[in-house]
Amino acid sequence: MGAVGKPREPDELDARELSALARVTDAALGHRTLGELLDEVLKSVTEIVSADTAAFLVLDSATNELVARAADGIEAEVELGVRIPVGRGFAGRIAEQRRPVVIEDIDADDVLAPVLRKQGIRSLLGVPMMVDGDVIGVLHVGTRAPRVFTRADQRLLQLAVDRAALTIDRAIRHEQDRRRRAEAEDMARELVALSRVTDAGLGWLPLDELLQELLTRIAEILAADTAAVLLLDTRTDELVARAAKGIEEEVEQGVRIPVGRGFAGRIAAQRQAVAIADVNHADVLNPILREKGIRSLLGVPLLVEGDVIGVLHVGTLTPRLFSAADQKLLQLAADRAALAIERARLYEQRRVVEAMQRALLPDPLPDIPGLDMFARYRPAAVGQTIGGDWYDAFELGGGRVALVVGDVMGRGVEAAALMAQLRTAVRAYAFEGHAPVSVADRLNRLFDNVRPTTMTTLCYAVMDAANETLFVVSAGHVPPLLVEPDGKSIMLPVIGDPPLGVVRTAQFREHRFPLHVGSTLLVVTDGAIEVPGEPLDAGLDRLAALAARERDIRRLCAAVVGGELLKGPLGDDVAVLAARLVELPDRLQRRWPADARVLLAVRHLVRRWLAKWKVGDDAAYDITVSVQEACTNVIDHAYGPGSGEFELNARHQQGAIVISVRDTGGWRDPRGDHRGRGLPIMRALMDSVEVERTDDGTTVVLRRALTEGASA
Amino acid sequence: MSAPLATLHEECHGPVAVVRLEGQVDASNVDLIGVGLRGILTNHARGLVVDLRPTTYLDSAGINLLFVLGAEMRSRQQALGLVVENEAPIARMLAITALDRSFPVHSTLDAAVADASPTT
Repeated sequence: MGAVGKPREPDELDARELSALARVTDAALGHRTLGELLDEVLKSVTEIVSADTAAFLVLDSATNELVARAADGIEAEVELGVRIPVGRGFAGRIAEQRRPVVIEDIDADDVLAPVLRKQGIRSLLGVPMMVDGDVIGVLHVGTRAPRVFTRADQRLLQLAVDRAALTIDRAIRHEQDRRRRAEAEDMARELVALSRVTDAGLGWLPLDELLQELLTRIAEILAADTAAVLLLDTRTDELVARAAKGIEEEVEQGVRIPVGRGFAGRIAAQRQAVAIADVNHADVLNPILREKGIRSLLGVPLLVEGDVIGVLHVGTLTPRLFSAADQKLLQLAADRAALAIERARLYEQRRVVEAMQRALLPDPLPDIPGLDMFARYRPAAVGQTIGGDWYDAFELGGGRVALVVGDVMGRGVEAAALMAQLRTAVRAYAFEGHAPVSVADRLNRLFDNVRPTTMTTLCYAVMDAANETLFVVSAGHVPPLLVEPDGKSIMLPVIGDPPLGVVRTAQFREHRFPLHVGSTLLVVTDGAIEVPGEPLDAGLDRLAALAARERDIRRLCAAVVGGELLKGPLGDDVAVLAARLVELPDRLQRRWPADARVLLAVRHLVRRWLAKWKVGDDAAYDITVSVQEACTNVIDHAYGPGSGEFELNARHQQGAIVISVRDTGGWRDPRGDHRGRGLPIMRALMDSVEVERTDDGTTVVLRRALTEGASA
Repeated sequence: MSAPLATLHEECHGPVAVVRLEGQVDASNVDLIGVGLRGILTNHARGLVVDLRPTTYLDSAGINLLFVLGAEMRSRQQALGLVVENEAPIARMLAITALDRSFPVHSTLDAAVADASPTT
């Protein structure tokens, strides 16, 4: 305390100073904590230079600031966590200039730390603490009475600080290491806990098992007695208990909590964690939680892309204050759980929808002579739910083929289920013999009953190959394109009629278009061409350009579902169907089931094929009847009740038409008085009829020359 | 456009029932046509004229039906008459199967109805 009266030589050290220095050395060598070490060093230096206060500030190299770490007489400086930028104020100057600094009168100087002023300190002496030429901190001493610190004082303080520097540096590093290690251990523990709830292996579990396993792990990690997941039912805005541990009754009883009410409801409504240290009846709606005697609760929302999908909460049977770390961990677990739940849900839904879609889309498309057909469906990119777009193609008989492309609004299982109903209805009405416009009318009325809130667009087309006519009805669907043989596209003007199930009294219009051999009907869903912010026509123009460029319908369909007409990634489902009327082959070969219902199709195909050879009407009639007689014989006589097939082969050979009908059954003799007219009719109408019976079956070969006389 | 394969249009000409058979008859719909024709031919009708001029397709299935129906009617003293255009392919079918020699065939409806009407 007080000023030292007699000036001394700087190198001189008296006995008291030496012993004080020795204490610094002792302290430095003693195995202590950094805090104890600093306290001892500060006490010693205060004594050595007879000061009233002392403080040590450590350099935080990350921020280049000095941080008060220990103090003697001005402890407030440490408590307040004073930070001083290097270069500024008293201590900052010492660190920057790496040399002792003396302040004779604090009021006349720019001392940054207000604490020093408040403590009534008048004079200061500070020195840098250096290790290997680097500043690691600053130590300063102060007096409440004005004092002029001498060079000897500076040297003495610097000596003491130098002696302590290495040890303090080591202690600082040791403390930092320990802190880092502790942090690393905490982090590792957290990571282990997290990895247990984010375990990739869990992703493969069915949703229920996944939730059960997650809850078990979360309860274990947080040492909780109960854990539960409630998922949001968006239709009723209620939370429904989906999985629970320790409070399994919750799920068994199907507890439902309205969003906004009670503990879980509040979490969902506020989209943030809620902790209840001491559960009372006012906070908790769920009787099961109360009956169980749960004392403390912590819950967090399950969020997916900002949307609440549910709530995860844990509870304890003994009162507990959940820490911020507990909450952080639970939220992290919830975030990962939410993702897993969403993924599992999507996966489940996607699997179901994909299976339904696979079952519903005709694969392969029916093989229809004279028609080249191809279709593709592609679900939206992974992560989005799918469903809704579909196509169908089926024979109506008489050389007519129904082609359907539809788009059911909505997604997922519901859309797929609706699509299944729609597909069945279309087929049923079409097979009943309704014209396209009646099919559309009936579907509209049906959908008005089935699901008034759902909208679905549909393009229903019938290709009549024999009459080279195309019939189209569109219920709010993207207009189809008719690509002419030369590649020029016509957008079929079938717009204006509403989607199905929107207007109960809608009157649909049937449009007819001439159809030439080589023409292609191209129908897509809007996902193939729609670019946000762009008129639909622009997309149709791109489709027309693509169709003109790519004449192969397989590659055309592949390009459409490949997103070639879009400016970005596939954001929606895409369905595309292309059907081209092609010339029948020179040699016709086709199999049919032995069923009278195929006769019409056989007849039309044979007529179309005969037209190819310019066979006259009467001759065509005779040949057609003869083929039918042969087919009818197969159907009537070749097989017993049940299945069987026959094969038709037709060729043009040396000015004659040669058609054979072959079966694999054994003809039974005609019974009754009025059977057996088939063969005489064939003989009368054809130039030759050969019936060849073997153990493998029967082949009837019909032959008719195409001369003027024969075609009379 | 996708009407049934064939339809029956009934007209009444006094005691004789007249049916226009429009469309195509083959093995797939011949039974239905048979039911329809027999339904039209009540016990009261003295005769039935089947107008085959609007028929676009007829093969042995239809021919057989007409033979069977004609035999049934004959046993009840009812007359079956047919109307076919002379040059039509169907006329050739009737000739090949001798149906035109088993039952009266005319080229006009009036002649067929007069032929099937009971002589008074």
